[in-house]
Amino acid sequence: MAFAVALLSRTKQYTECPPLMEEDKYQDSRQKLKNILKPMEGAEETGLIIHEELCSGCGNCVVACPVNVANDPHGSGRGFGPTNEKVIFRVENGIVKAANIKECRRFGKDRILCRACIDPCPTEAIEFV
Amino acid sequence: MEMTEPITWTCTGCALLCEDIQVHIKDNKVEKVEHACLKGKARVYGCKHTAISTVDQAEVDINSAISQAAEILEKAKNPLLYGWSNSTSEAQVAGIELAQTLGACIDSTSSFCQGITINEIMNGSIPSCTLEEVREKADVVIYWGADPMSSHPRHLSKYSYFPRGELRQRGYEEDRTAICIDVTQSRTAKICKAMFFSIPPGGDAEFMRALMDGLAGRVPKLSYDFDVKRILELAAVLKKAEFGVIFAGLGLVYSIKEEFDLILEFMSTLNRFSNFSLIPMAGHFNMRGFNHNLHEKTGFIHRVRFTKNGPVSGVEYSVVEQLKHGADAVLVVGSDPLASLPLSIARRLKDIPLILVDPCANLTTRVADVTIPCGASGIEVGGTAVRLDGKKMDISPIVQGDGLSDEMVVRRIMEEVS
Amino acid sequence: MALDVGKFIKAPEYDIKIITHRDVFQASACEEDRFGDECQEMSALIVLDAAEMKRMGIQDRANVRLTSNWGSVVVRARASPREEQKGMGFMVNSPWVNTLVSDETTDGIPAFKDIEAKITISKNGITGIQELLLL
Repeated sequence: MAFAVALLSRTKQYTECPPLMEEDKYQDSRQKLKNILKPMEGAEETGLIIHEELCSGCGNCVVACPVNVANDPHGSGRGFGPTNEKVIFRVENGIVKAANIKECRRFGKDRILCRACIDPCPTEAIEFV
Repeated sequence: MEMTEPITWTCTGCALLCEDIQVHIKDNKVEKVEHACLKGKARVYGCKHTAISTVDQAEVDINSAISQAAEILEKAKNPLLYGWSNSTSEAQVAGIELAQTLGACIDSTSSFCQGITINEIMNGSIPSCTLEEVREKADVVIYWGADPMSSHPRHLSKYSYFPRGELRQRGYEEDRTAICIDVTQSRTAKICKAMFFSIPPGGDAEFMRALMDGLAGRVPKLSYDFDVKRILELAAVLKKAEFGVIFAGLGLVYSIKEEFDLILEFMSTLNRFSNFSLIPMAGHFNMRGFNHNLHEKTGFIHRVRFTKNGPVSGVEYSVVEQLKHGADAVLVVGSDPLASLPLSIARRLKDIPLILVDPCANLTTRVADVTIPCGASGIEVGGTAVRLDGKKMDISPIVQGDGLSDEMVVRRIMEEVS
Repeated sequence: MALDVGKFIKAPEYDIKIITHRDVFQASACEEDRFGDECQEMSALIVLDAAEMKRMGIQDRANVRLTSNWGSVVVRARASPREEQKGMGFMVNSPWVNTLVSDETTDGIPAFKDIEAKITISKNGITGIQELLLL
């Protein structure tokens, strides 16, 4: 059970379980787990995934993210493109990019299930896994 | 050459004209663009197939193409100059002068787009405001027959819903109410959540009347199935608005164009109880500029014919009517009518002499008798443009082009005809 | 040899009202390359209510012929992820849907958002942009 929790919190990979990887009788389970965990590939430490092919670069998340607003009140907070490097979201070449992910409210000890970037997205391009 | 500091650019991807775009240029080529949406990115990187000078679909030098264009226009008894929404105001002014020189008809894409709305705003019949006022003050915004998330991607993030404004400091969830009235749950409607009002196609006029009833305290009546309680609740929200804005999309404009005075009546009813402005959702980056520039010269916003007795305007001078039965030669600047007009109407372009001035190869270049390439407005060519709310904006070029601007092409044609 | 009865039966036609709209992804693809596959894929497309499609016997991603008094074109049908009003189809502004728009106007504004057409399953390929020019 502890290993399953570690898997979901991404502190461990399924490949770190020797019997699963080495014993033939677990071959089916190995494949199933691989498929289940596929959406988590490429996820940031907070579980953030940006589906770039769905992003229209509208910047709703850039302006709605409370960290962007707090760290760049006169840029992102006012609807403009970010004016410093302290923001989480910025749009580059028409697609949103995430940085400074440790600033995200979903990160760290006092994390909360913030949805400020997910709800304003018109194309469901942002997901947390 | 090392990557230079980014250039601040005003995007010509749509009529929002976002002025905060950062473009990184290397060796006269765009290397990276920041803050622009996907539409702006497509605009700044440009088209894959650029236009080449042709006469009768055979490549010629640009001077020959210009001479041929001048000859066609000079010979024509009833030439039409059309397009203009993707051109700077300077090119539009040159086009208006050419129309005057030729005694031609001139019209733009606004003829079948937001022209009807812009006309009422310009003559003062519909109150309007700027996008900056929307950002700083608006507490209730209505997207009516409009889906900016699909047409003007940064509309909500830059101005109408998400940003902090002077009077809207606490964030959109607390400070602003976004309402969407449409025939389908668009991307914008999704953001408006429970404030999405789904109406049947063509049901806008009735909904507007029902809302006026609601405002006046009468029980609204509708021929289609709609929860009257929701209309009353919406009327209450509108009444309480401190600074309300309606963004009128083509869904609304097309639906009530035959009784357009209803919008005027609705706005004045609404403003007996509240404080609302209306902004048209113009698409192309300088569609509104054409209306302003032509109005300044003639007193009309589009559909103009220059006669011996001066300019006249009417539906018979619209691009649609002129193509159906009228024009005997057409100059198209910055538009692709074969792609954007009904084929039943655009088909006639194959039968009459057709000149196209555009940076890119498009459907119309495939049938044009003369094609003249020009620099892309706002990329290789600078100037001014008018944003969808009527604000004049400066547009600086970001890369050096090797061709003529559309303004210069039009002026060269003018030199040869006069 | 078994007789292919199917080929003698005309696929049923249904009335549909088409409404055009904009799309940022299609607009960007077509701005980049008007003649590209991506522009065509995102333009030659009609979105319908899933239950309506079932009723009409049209499968998701099937090719359909749309015919109005002014033209005819083959596009791909897609099911809307949400419930749509009955009898309606949604198409992004493009030369494909423009083949169906009436030339009749009294005010110089064509009925881009009020297109009456018939829809039927088609065995033909999607009408290419080059073919549109020949229509």
